[in-house]
Amino acid sequence: MNKFVKGMFAFGLSAATLVGCSSSGSGEEDASAASGSITVVSREDGSGTRGAFTELLGIDDGEKDNTTSSAQITNSTSVMMTTVEGNDYAIGYISLGSLNDTVKAVKVDGVEATQENIESGEYTVSRPFIVCTTGEVSELGQDFMNFIMSDEGQAVVAEEGYIAMETTGAFESNGATGDLTVGGSSSVTPVMEKLAEAYKKINADANISVQQTDSTTGAESTISGVYDIGMCSRELTDDEKDAGLTPTTIAIDGIAVIVNKNNSVDNLTSDQIKEIYTGEITEWADVAE
Amino acid sequence: MQLRENAMRIVFMLAACFSIVAVFFICFYLFINGLPAIAKIGPLNFLTGMEWAPSNELYGIFPMIIGSIYVTAGAIIVGVPIGILTAVYMAYFCPKKIYRIVKPAVELLAGIPSIVYGFFGLVVIVPLIQDVFHTSGNTVLAASVLLGIMILPTIVSVSEASLQAVPDSYYEGSLALGASHERSVYFVCLKAAKSGVLAGVILGVGRAIGETMAVIMVAGNQAVIPGSLLHGVRTMTANIVLEMGYASGLHREALIATACVLFVFIMIINLSFSALKRKEAKA
Repeated sequence: MNKFVKGMFAFGLSAATLVGCSSSGSGEEDASAASGSITVVSREDGSGTRGAFTELLGIDDGEKDNTTSSAQITNSTSVMMTTVEGNDYAIGYISLGSLNDTVKAVKVDGVEATQENIESGEYTVSRPFIVCTTGEVSELGQDFMNFIMSDEGQAVVAEEGYIAMETTGAFESNGATGDLTVGGSSSVTPVMEKLAEAYKKINADANISVQQTDSTTGAESTISGVYDIGMCSRELTDDEKDAGLTPTTIAIDGIAVIVNKNNSVDNLTSDQIKEIYTGEITEWADVAE
Repeated sequence: MQLRENAMRIVFMLAACFSIVAVFFICFYLFINGLPAIAKIGPLNFLTGMEWAPSNELYGIFPMIIGSIYVTAGAIIVGVPIGILTAVYMAYFCPKKIYRIVKPAVELLAGIPSIVYGFFGLVVIVPLIQDVFHTSGNTVLAASVLLGIMILPTIVSVSEASLQAVPDSYYEGSLALGASHERSVYFVCLKAAKSGVLAGVILGVGRAIGETMAVIMVAGNQAVIPGSLLHGVRTMTANIVLEMGYASGLHREALIATACVLFVFIMIINLSFSALKRKEAKA
C-alpha cells in the first residue's frame, strides 16, 4: 500500500536484529585477559603526568615523544581510571595519590608502587610537585612557603600519600596576616588544600584561597601577579624561568601503571612498558609470564 | 510618553546589539590570536598536515578535521532518522496521553548536561561496543551514537514545531484526494514542513560539531585518521580542550588556530543554511 511504512518496518526489523546480535555477543566474554590486543591509554600532550611518564620510561628519547599514535588519549585521571576499569585489555598510568582499588597497579621491574619504594629510590617512575613564586613574594607568602617546607608541612605531604622532601626543621610563624592566593595544577591542588588548612590552624589570621586550574595557568598567573604562589606538576619551562619564576619542589609524586583487575599480568619491566607505549608490543600474550 | 517610548526603544536596541557585539569580539580575538600561529606553521602544513605532535613541533590538524566530519556524519546517520520520525509521530500519530509523556521526555533530554551524556557513554555505550566487537570501545561508533542521541531533542523539537505549523487544510486536502493518513503525513505535511525540518537538522549538526566534553570521554582521542568505525578519533573541539590546560607558546597558539578552523566550519554551516533558506523563499 505504501512504501514508506514498509520501509519503516524493515528499518525496525534490522534494528531489532542488531540488538539481538549485541546481546548474543556479550555472552562470550572471557574474564582473564592475558591474551588479546592491548588498549594503550595515555594522557594528553603537554600533561605533567605524561611528560614525566614518557621521560622516565624512555618513551620520550629526549628528541621526540614516541608514544604510539594508536594510543587513546584522555585529559583526566578519572576518565583514565574508568576506561581501564571497564576494559579488560587496557593499560594506563595515574598519580599514585589517586590510585584506588577499582584498578590494579602493576609492579615495575618487580617493584611495587608504594611510598616506601619511591622514597628508597627502587620505584623510579615519579615526578616533582613544584610551587613557584616571583621575586617579590609577600610576607605571608614567604611564611606559608616556610610552613610547607617545615616538619609540620612535610608531615601533611606524607600523610596525603606523596613523598616528603627534606625539611627545614620546626615551623615558626612570622605572624603575617592578610590574603594569599595559591593556584595551578589540579594534581597539586588536593595536597595544597590540606597544607592551607594545617597552616590556618597555626596562623588563624591568614586567609589562603587555593584555586584549581592547571600547571601552565598556575605559572602564567603567578608571573602576571594574579596568584601569589603557583602550583605545577611538571618542571618549569625555560620561558617561565626567564620570566622570573623560582621553583621550589614541595613533594614527589609516584606514577602508578594501571591495568584492569581481570588482567592476570602483575609485573612489567620498564622496557616492556616502553615497548607497549611505543607500539612495539601490541598483544598481552607477548608480556604475560 | 514620547520620551519613555524612545528610551525603551534604545534599551531594546542595545539588547539586540549585545549579541552582535559579542560575536564580533569573539571573532576578532579568535583570529587575532590564531592567524599568526597558522602563518608561523604554514597554512598548508597546518590544514593538511597528517601529524599532530606538539612536543615534536608537528602541528597538522587534518586528522582532527576529518575526525570532526566523521563523527558529525555519524551523528546525523543515527540522530536524523530517529529525530524526524519521532517528530512525525508526535505531531500526527501520537495519542494525547502518550504525548504528555513523550514531549517532556524529549525536553528533558535537551536539559541533560553534556558531561552526564559523556559519563553515560563511558559506562554504557563504550563497554557495550567492547563486548560486541572485542575491541576497545572508545571509537567513532561510540561517539556517533552518543552524539546522535544528543542532537535528538534539537531535531525533534524544531521539526515538530514546523510540522505543527503546517496548515490543516493541506492534510485535509490530501485526504480528500483519496490519500491515506500515512501518505498524507509523509508526502504532504512533511514536505510542506521541509525547511523547518532542515533547520532542525542544521542546528543538530551545529551541536554535534561543537560538542566537546561528551566526545572526549568516549572517542579515544587518537590524533590519527580513523581507519574504520571501530577506531578512535579526535575531533577539533577535543583537541583544543585536551591540551589547552598545559599548552604554552606556539602549542597554545596552534590550539587557538584550531578554534579558528572550527569557527570557519560553523560559519560555513550557517551560511549554507541561510543560502538554502533564501533559495527556498524564492522558489
